[in-house]
Amino acid sequence: MIIIAIILGCVIGAIIGVNAPIIPYTYSTFLAIAVVAALDSVFGGITSVIKKNFDLTIFITGFFCNSILSIALTYLGQRLNIDIYLAALVVFVGRMFTNLTIIRRYYVDLWKSKITQKVKSGKKAEE
Amino acid sequence: MKTKMPKIKMSKTKIVMSITIGIACFSLMLVMFMQFKVVKQTDITSIETMREEDLRTELADWKEKYTELTERYNDVMAKITEYQSEKESDEKTAELLQSELNQLNLALGTTDIQGEGITIILEDKKDTELSEGIIVSQITDYDLLIVVRELFAAGAEAISINDNRIVAMTDIFLRESNEISIMQIDSQRITSPYVIKAIGNRAYLESAANSKDGKLKQLQNAGHGLEVQTSSANKPIIINAYTGTIDSKYMQDKEN
Repeated sequence: MIIIAIILGCVIGAIIGVNAPIIPYTYSTFLAIAVVAALDSVFGGITSVIKKNFDLTIFITGFFCNSILSIALTYLGQRLNIDIYLAALVVFVGRMFTNLTIIRRYYVDLWKSKITQKVKSGKKAEE
Repeated sequence: MKTKMPKIKMSKTKIVMSITIGIACFSLMLVMFMQFKVVKQTDITSIETMREEDLRTELADWKEKYTELTERYNDVMAKITEYQSEKESDEKTAELLQSELNQLNLALGTTDIQGEGITIILEDKKDTELSEGIIVSQITDYDLLIVVRELFAAGAEAISINDNRIVAMTDIFLRESNEISIMQIDSQRITSPYVIKAIGNRAYLESAANSKDGKLKQLQNAGHGLEVQTSSANKPIIINAYTGTIDSKYMQDKEN
């Protein structure tokens, strides 16, 4: 069910995004930072699922609020003539890497434990 | 049906979850693909899609170039006006020199000219017997010189005898040797009939030619053939240029 929702959302979003009108280049910075914020939220969500403390409300609010906040910060940075979006980018990407590490470790551990289990079961069968 | 119903009931929270996650995925993909499209289709060099800072630097660049080029343009324009004025003054000088040269050439007789005037045809009838015992004598160089002088006196601007232009240094000379006499103009032999062309005021020249005391009438009375034709508007007198060379070996400008 969730997988179907994810695939459907991705496909519809991609189709509409491809056919959407081009936004001016000046505003593309906002979109880019929003994309990075959303991706960070997604990886954070996956991490929390692995850690088994996933909360939908927190995930959704984080997803949208982070995007909007990053856009607002970027706008403020433009107003102040300082590239705040760079700081946001550093934070988001850094967090993304941390989360990716956690995910990787989890699956590597899973894979390792499976192998050891197989070996153990094989040994038991031999015995 | 029975088996499905409880499944749906069971996953009520799951439905909300999937819908929200679907919406999240949808918005993420939408924004991502829009951004992809923008980045892909944006030509960074075209002005419409440039960022403001880029536009500013570009504008500054162009302004600098513009001022530079304006300076150069002004320099070149100043040079052009300079050359123009120089050229104009040169042209004026050249024009002046040309008109002076033309005037001098006309005076010297080194150009073909045309204009109103008269043509005199003088036929030497020497050795014919006019009446008993009176034999017509030859036309001499003095006669021709006097005719030329009378024509000049009547205001002739150019004269030629048998197409030999009379200029300042022209000599008319009758060479007599061994009973053969040869009329020469500038060492060129000419023979009767003498065709004398003169350009000047037609009426004055005609009256001078027909004057009773004039040399031409005297020659006619002495038995020679004389015919005076005046030019008409559509048939002007044409006098050829002086064909000899004008060189000065001995004379020089006076030293001041």
